[in-house]
Amino acid sequence: MAKITGKIVAITGNAAVAQGMRQINPDVVAAYPITPQTDIAEEFATFVADGLVDTEYIAVESEHSAMSACLGAAAAGARVMTATSSQGLALMWEILYIASGMRFPIVMTNVNRCLSAPINIHCDHSDSMGARDSGWIQIYSESAQEAYDNIIQAVRIGEDEKVRLPVMVNMDGFIVSHSIERVELLEDESVKNFVGEYKPSFSLLDVEHPVTFGPFDGLGGFYFEHKLAQIEAMERSREVILRIGREFGALSGREYGFFEKYRLDDAEVAVIVLNSAAGTSKHTVDMMRREGHPVGVLKLRIFRPFPTRELCEALRHLRAVAVLDRATSPGTTGPLFGEVKAALYDLGKRPLVVNFIYGLGGREFKPEHIRCAFEALLEISKKGKVEKPLDYLGLKEVEVIS
Amino acid sequence: MSIKELSLREERFTSGHRLCAGCGATIVVRQVLMATEKPVVVCCPTGCLEVSTTIYPSTAWGVPYIHNAFENAAATLSGAESAYRVLMRRGKIDKKDIRFAVFGGDGGTYDIGLQALSGVLERGHRLVYVCYDNQAYMNCLSTSCLIMTENGLKRITEVKEGDKIHAFDQKTHQLVLRRCTGVFDNGIREVYEVETLHHSIKATANHPFLVLKRNGRGRRNTFVWKTLAEIKVGDEVVVLKNLHGGKPFKFNFRKTEKGDYKVNRVNEINIPEYSSPDLMKYLGIYVGDGWVRTEKKETGFALPKNSKARKTLVNLHSKIFGSKIRSDDAYVYVDSVNLARFIGCLGFGQGAKNKKIPGWVFTLPKEEKENFVRGLMLSDGYKIGGSFRYVSASGELLRTLRLLLQTTGFRVGKIHWQKKKKGIENKYFDTEKIKNIRLAGCEPTLDLRVEDEHNFIADGIVVHNTGIQRSSATPLGAWTTTSPVGKVIPGKTQNRKDLTACVAAHNIPYVAQASPSHWRDLVTKAEKAFNAQGPAFLNILAPCPRGWRYPTNQTIRMARLAVETCFWPLYEVENGNWRLTHKPREKKPLVEWLKPQGRFKHLFKPENQHVIEEFQTKVDEDWNSLLKRCQIE
Repeated sequence: MAKITGKIVAITGNAAVAQGMRQINPDVVAAYPITPQTDIAEEFATFVADGLVDTEYIAVESEHSAMSACLGAAAAGARVMTATSSQGLALMWEILYIASGMRFPIVMTNVNRCLSAPINIHCDHSDSMGARDSGWIQIYSESAQEAYDNIIQAVRIGEDEKVRLPVMVNMDGFIVSHSIERVELLEDESVKNFVGEYKPSFSLLDVEHPVTFGPFDGLGGFYFEHKLAQIEAMERSREVILRIGREFGALSGREYGFFEKYRLDDAEVAVIVLNSAAGTSKHTVDMMRREGHPVGVLKLRIFRPFPTRELCEALRHLRAVAVLDRATSPGTTGPLFGEVKAALYDLGKRPLVVNFIYGLGGREFKPEHIRCAFEALLEISKKGKVEKPLDYLGLKEVEVIS
Repeated sequence: MSIKELSLREERFTSGHRLCAGCGATIVVRQVLMATEKPVVVCCPTGCLEVSTTIYPSTAWGVPYIHNAFENAAATLSGAESAYRVLMRRGKIDKKDIRFAVFGGDGGTYDIGLQALSGVLERGHRLVYVCYDNQAYMNCLSTSCLIMTENGLKRITEVKEGDKIHAFDQKTHQLVLRRCTGVFDNGIREVYEVETLHHSIKATANHPFLVLKRNGRGRRNTFVWKTLAEIKVGDEVVVLKNLHGGKPFKFNFRKTEKGDYKVNRVNEINIPEYSSPDLMKYLGIYVGDGWVRTEKKETGFALPKNSKARKTLVNLHSKIFGSKIRSDDAYVYVDSVNLARFIGCLGFGQGAKNKKIPGWVFTLPKEEKENFVRGLMLSDGYKIGGSFRYVSASGELLRTLRLLLQTTGFRVGKIHWQKKKKGIENKYFDTEKIKNIRLAGCEPTLDLRVEDEHNFIADGIVVHNTGIQRSSATPLGAWTTTSPVGKVIPGKTQNRKDLTACVAAHNIPYVAQASPSHWRDLVTKAEKAFNAQGPAFLNILAPCPRGWRYPTNQTIRMARLAVETCFWPLYEVENGNWRLTHKPREKKPLVEWLKPQGRFKHLFKPENQHVIEEFQTKVDEDWNSLLKRCQIE
């Protein structure tokens, strides 16, 4: 297919997502504002008001109702989208599981923000990491461009007949959502053609063929089997994600896979990151490479389903790997670290792994922080052992007042 | 609108669901859905209606239905309603005039679901929110034990307070009739199946059984009540082996006659007034090999030419009914609307898989019962060695047949074969060793309370007699499991939330309060609600026999008393105009509604008199302010 170039604009991450939603022109959007997602809800509401889309916009009274209304609309056979952040995602919690259990391909942008308390509106990944077991496909985006590209692909991935699962597209609150970047928008028409028409398997509105959605499936029923079907759909999504990533590459010139490798193949040590920290990491890698250090980056794009096999292939030649987590699970290591370490366990010869927690509550993450991590990795690589498996980057030196 | 018109409407909520006998919510759902002939999409929040009507893979809903969670039915359906509008606008679905209805309990509406409801009302989605208000968080379902009553065998769910039930006299060891003084639903519980040589019963672990205690040589054996958890394999429990003599059954059957509506011609036939040994043998053959097609006015028997059964049947037919028979090589037919109607109404069931022995057969004299079994054996039974076997496609038929045989003394011979000294030796009761006890899963359970003897016979075995949480719809003073009646606190100490008025304050097109006892009023209101150009809300009282603690046949009476005492006034708020739709001729005192309900029992103690007074005052105040709002002097 010939590459169709679109318009190049300077917009924020939120605006890019709103533009993507405008081009997708979903049937129903139900959303409730929360910082830092608010712009998406506002901007999309403006598109509705200006008649740029003919979507039915439900300005619900809470995130719980947002996800509930999305679920009702999806059951009625509509293509549905929403967006939220942080506490909003936490309030939706209950319905996240129901949406995936009932196999509705709802697409949601989650603008990553930390969870209270203390209350703080800035970026970390505690919100989406907490929802990792909810049965949603999770895609992470480094930039506004990626958030835009991912939201368009997410529609196709979730709606694929082999999948039929909800998809959550994540981007960093403020760092990406509120920063103006160069974004290449596709033509409206090519997005419309790319996402195509949604054909639901069943609909509440098919009154001639009434269907019961969400029946009681208690003891002696088939709950376990239904969960297995959901697990299998998640497994099938791997192939679909890669296929849609290639198709999107053919359309836009930007192909997507499970992750992006940056100067990784000839590296000896590397960091694994999600979202915007990848940019800082790549910049630092360039600087340290100039100094002669064999460093690289792996930016994970798909967290659910977790690309275990591919990740092992990409990391097996390394001497040491640092997993950078922008979330914590008090009492254990960061969530991404646990998964990467478990994935590497099956390799005969495997790199040493260390965990760094960084950027909680929007704490700045600078090149000097990532340099710290690389220096620690080079040290580990030289010594051949890990002395401090978990460390924190960018903590303030606090004088304890007693 | 008349009952006749309503009865012609399609039933969209089908039978076979697992709600309790006497459940008010089911009546509410049926009455509301009858109010419109337009297609309806239904959403239920989590609640007893939801869990009991959609047990996967079956469903009682003949309309599209969705359940999402507890607190968000309104929001969920608002999504579906929005999708409906946009998909129509975009031409993605055919033009259809669809209505949307939520059926939520009071918990899912007054409490946890209030926010989503309020949001929907404010956004103006065109949907009808029906609150079936049973005034607490209820859990219940029903069960399948067969109970020996004066009027024959009944399902435990059909037993009503006041019915005479066969019981075991613990002094004389004789069979006695005792009055049932209550039916209680115990919800879904873990149930064990107890098997003896000839009986099996499912019961909860705490259910008492009458167990034989052998006191050793020379001493009299005694009986003790042991719970299922206490009994072991090998214990001997008391079982029923024979019922009283019984008497012929009088049929209340009115023949179709010439001159009846649209009847010009009727084939002559005699229909007996009472049961007889001959008739029972005839019916036995019918249960084995017969069928009835009322619409074709035909009764038929699959009996091949020259078979012994066909000869017997033909003889019996001319003797009892005295009408003509039509036959071919394989079948015998009788063309008579009266015979088809007569047999059809006796309760033997339709179709090979649904045949059963109705309760009244158990009340017949021994000879009639035996002849019935003989007829049955003639058709489908066969002999192996010294015993008869009977094969049927209907499990219910085999189960009822076994009980019939066991109570007709068919097993007496077998006891002699065992040549063992029994704990009881009389013609009614026997003891049997327990062979097996196993967990049968979780099932709905019921219990009966029986006067004096405190026992009854379930599935042929002698057994003894053996949750509800407050919501903001629970009335003042009511007992629930989370507002228990204690030494200090007499039930719920708060008044209920006036949700109907809260909803009316949203200024939506239509709000009404209704009761299933006033069905015409209810259906009219539901009709208005479905036709409203925006959100509509119906708050409908749904008495709950289990939670309110009253017998299952009193649901409509409870609803009516709530209206007549002005506890539950019937009114509507149409575009802001308050109108009383029913004014009781005479306002009854509140105690008339409180008294029959077990949940208010404690209020009738002298020390709680003040709660009743307080409650009455509250009802009076509310009633007066409602009259004022409706501008009635």
